Amino acid sequence: MKRRFSKSSFARTFSLTLAAIAVVASADVFLAKAERAANQQEAARFFANGQKLLRKGENAQAVEQFRSALSLDRDNPDDQLALGQALFAAGRLNDARAALETLLEENSFSGPGNLAMARVLVKQDAVNQATFYYHRAIYGEWKENAGSNPVSVRLELAGLLSRQISKAEDLKAQNLRESLLAELLPLEDEAPGDPATRKQLGWWFLAAGSPNRAATVFRMVLHELPGDAEAYAGMGQAEFAEGNYGVARADFQMAVRLRPGDWDSENRLKECERVLELNPRQVGLSAEQETARSRKLLEAVLDDLRQCIGPSPAAPAQDLIAQDLIETAERNLKRPATSAANIEIAERLWQMRKASCGAALTAAEEPLELVLAKLAQ
Amino acid sequence: MGEATRLGARLRKAIQPLQQSEAQRSLTLSLAIGALVGLVIVAFILLTGRLAARMYPAGGSGWRRILVPVAGSLGTGYLLWRFFPFARGSGIPQTKFALFINDGRILFRTVFGKFFCCSASLASGIALGREGPAVQIGAGLASVIARNAGMSKEQVKALVPVGCSAALAAAFNTPIAAVLFSLEEIMGDLHAPVLGAAVLSSATSWMVLHLVLGDNPLFHVPAYRLVHPAEFAAYAVLGVAGGLGSVAFVKLLLHLRQMFKGFPRWSVWFQPVAGGLTVGLFGYFAPDVMGVGYNYVDKILNGDVVLKLAFLLAILKIIATAVAYSSGNAGGIFGPSLFIGATIGASVGGVAHRLFPDYTAGPGAYALVGMGTAFAGIVRVPLTSVIMIFEMTRDYTIIVPLMISNLIAFLISYKLQRAPIYEALAQQDGVHLPSAETRAQAGRMRVNQAMRPVAAGSPEAMELLTGPNGGVPPHVHPDHPLSLALERMGSSGRNALPVVSRADVRQLLGVVRLDDVLRAFGVNRPAEARESTGLS
Repeated sequence: MKRRFSKSSFARTFSLTLAAIAVVASADVFLAKAERAANQQEAARFFANGQKLLRKGENAQAVEQFRSALSLDRDNPDDQLALGQALFAAGRLNDARAALETLLEENSFSGPGNLAMARVLVKQDAVNQATFYYHRAIYGEWKENAGSNPVSVRLELAGLLSRQISKAEDLKAQNLRESLLAELLPLEDEAPGDPATRKQLGWWFLAAGSPNRAATVFRMVLHELPGDAEAYAGMGQAEFAEGNYGVARADFQMAVRLRPGDWDSENRLKECERVLELNPRQVGLSAEQETARSRKLLEAVLDDLRQCIGPSPAAPAQDLIAQDLIETAERNLKRPATSAANIEIAERLWQMRKASCGAALTAAEEPLELVLAKLAQ
Repeated sequence: MGEATRLGARLRKAIQPLQQSEAQRSLTLSLAIGALVGLVIVAFILLTGRLAARMYPAGGSGWRRILVPVAGSLGTGYLLWRFFPFARGSGIPQTKFALFINDGRILFRTVFGKFFCCSASLASGIALGREGPAVQIGAGLASVIARNAGMSKEQVKALVPVGCSAALAAAFNTPIAAVLFSLEEIMGDLHAPVLGAAVLSSATSWMVLHLVLGDNPLFHVPAYRLVHPAEFAAYAVLGVAGGLGSVAFVKLLLHLRQMFKGFPRWSVWFQPVAGGLTVGLFGYFAPDVMGVGYNYVDKILNGDVVLKLAFLLAILKIIATAVAYSSGNAGGIFGPSLFIGATIGASVGGVAHRLFPDYTAGPGAYALVGMGTAFAGIVRVPLTSVIMIFEMTRDYTIIVPLMISNLIAFLISYKLQRAPIYEALAQQDGVHLPSAETRAQAGRMRVNQAMRPVAAGSPEAMELLTGPNGGVPPHVHPDHPLSLALERMGSSGRNALPVVSRADVRQLLGVVRLDDVLRAFGVNRPAEARESTGLS
């Protein structure tokens, strides 16, 4: 038998359903709040355990704890970040990268997230990508120490770039120097004023090919710490790079005196002295001294060329010119010649040496290059 | 009081336009059912979670893992036996039973019992799922609302799958798969006319879920992709493993259930303890086997897999779920099938990745595909399983390997275990429900299989082609299903229909008679009935 439809029963049931919806919705909201609070509490416990384990170096167990925290409080960026960092510490770089990608998908401005990602990428030798994330970290959001953290990140990036410069080939090194300088310029103002940081900046300026800025920084350090051997060594290198060999020698002498056994400064001092000893145009020399130095320079260049090309020049086309130049040099050395003539022959021989033997120089040849470069100026 | 009366009057006035026709009323109720079922299922999930947290506090003793499931199964076993006998088991066969045999009638008492008994049972760590019970709760609420709203039997039956869709959308956070599951598994017909209402309620329920719990997918899955075309071979192996695992699970479950049914009736109330004890003992050594296990699934989907443990858990879960279900605990097999699939997938993927690290993805990807594979093998709803994984991951790239694995698992499962699990469970209870397969088989029978030739121009042909008032007579075409021929015979009051060409309805191709149709369906009519057959 077909049931008759009653409008009142429909309205009553519909009203009751709406009332039930309201009641169950309230119960749901209450239960959801309780669930969220309990989950967050439990997640916080896992998070704290994870941090403890991470400090102890038990990275694999820390990963487990952070994963558990995250499963309870999925939207918590701190848990996600901690998981990424723990995976990184455990050496699971791909997993760490995936975890941090998830974090950065949610908040691409996260300063700590971008920094952690940059560190993972550095480990994976993806320096260009890492630089990108370092920049995002520098300009990102920092919940804590919003003033100092970006500076620390920039310092870390500068350290990375300076390390890369020493490993890179010429062209790439030049690009890296420019990038490093771009990071160092803001750091001049932003970086902490403690001498250790300042000295580090000075060295990085040197690596970036900016010796005058390096000299300024080291000078400021020496103003504060007049007896700092490292600052003198840095200062010496900056002056040396600027071609101020006399000043550089004085700085290296101070560095060696303040820190005996500093082999690097001692070698640099020797190099300075060698350059000064060969430079015929040094201020304050008499005419005889200038001529004697020019002969010495010519002699040194000729010896170097002979060692390099052997008894006879290799390339037949250059054979005659080379022979002619060598004979001229020998003649000049046997009879009194003007310093200008000696210098001119020395410069031409040096060009020939570079053409025949390549631009690579030994440590002993560097002073010759420096002197001749200075003379060419 | 006066205020309440005025409010009631206003409400009645407001819903007046919504109850003009049965279609409007049905649509209105679909929305309300979607919202209510969504909220109830969210409450069900949250309550289960809170109860589980109370039963297993952080740092609790390992003995709890034995005692709590035993106590839980004993308590809920008694309640189910004493007060809620229809709330035992998964809920999906019960829903189908109500839909096809009981005119969509599910009692509120059953809904109530299912909600609380399942919540307690799952919270105590019983290795069963929450989706099946959620489906019965949703269907039950839809049935209760529709009946109380004075809807016709047909409309009550139509609203039951609407409740199922809403429940599954909320329980599994997959609204499209929820609709498909309702049509593919519950209705057994992907072209069922309730599609629109089911979509509406599923979407409403899903919105409610998101309003209350936020946009949190059930599993957080990284983007997986096919590493190398040769990897299809590994996914095919996964399909075989998933298919065999599915068959093992289904056969074990059915065998154990038959065994438990053979025990004396008075033992029914404490039979669930067998499940509780099994889960407890397994859980003491491997806690991940307990409960729904989605936390562990989430872990392995993210590649956090210890190969041996994943394999061990696959075996333990198959046994624990089979014993827990067959002994009469309240809970479903939908969730465990995903767990089993994920662990089988992680095992196969782990081995493949060790052997061919450059050509295969990590075990997480295989766990993901494994979930769909086991679901297709156990529940035998291949389309739903593909869409479900797609919705869970929101990633298209894994779909092709998933389809291949699913198909293989489905075929192996079909070959080795003919009846799908829910149908087999109903058959054990003496109930024969129509399945998608049997419906498809019936739908495949065409008029041309029962058609007989008629000489053109013969008196019989003339009579067949004579319609009422000289119009076109009731007829069928050769490619029509036989069921349509029966329908048309009934509506026209004829025992024989002309079979005409689609190109020209006046061109007679043959005749189809009631006897021939019945014979095609395997029914032999008695002689006296046959004598009366003819045109009337």
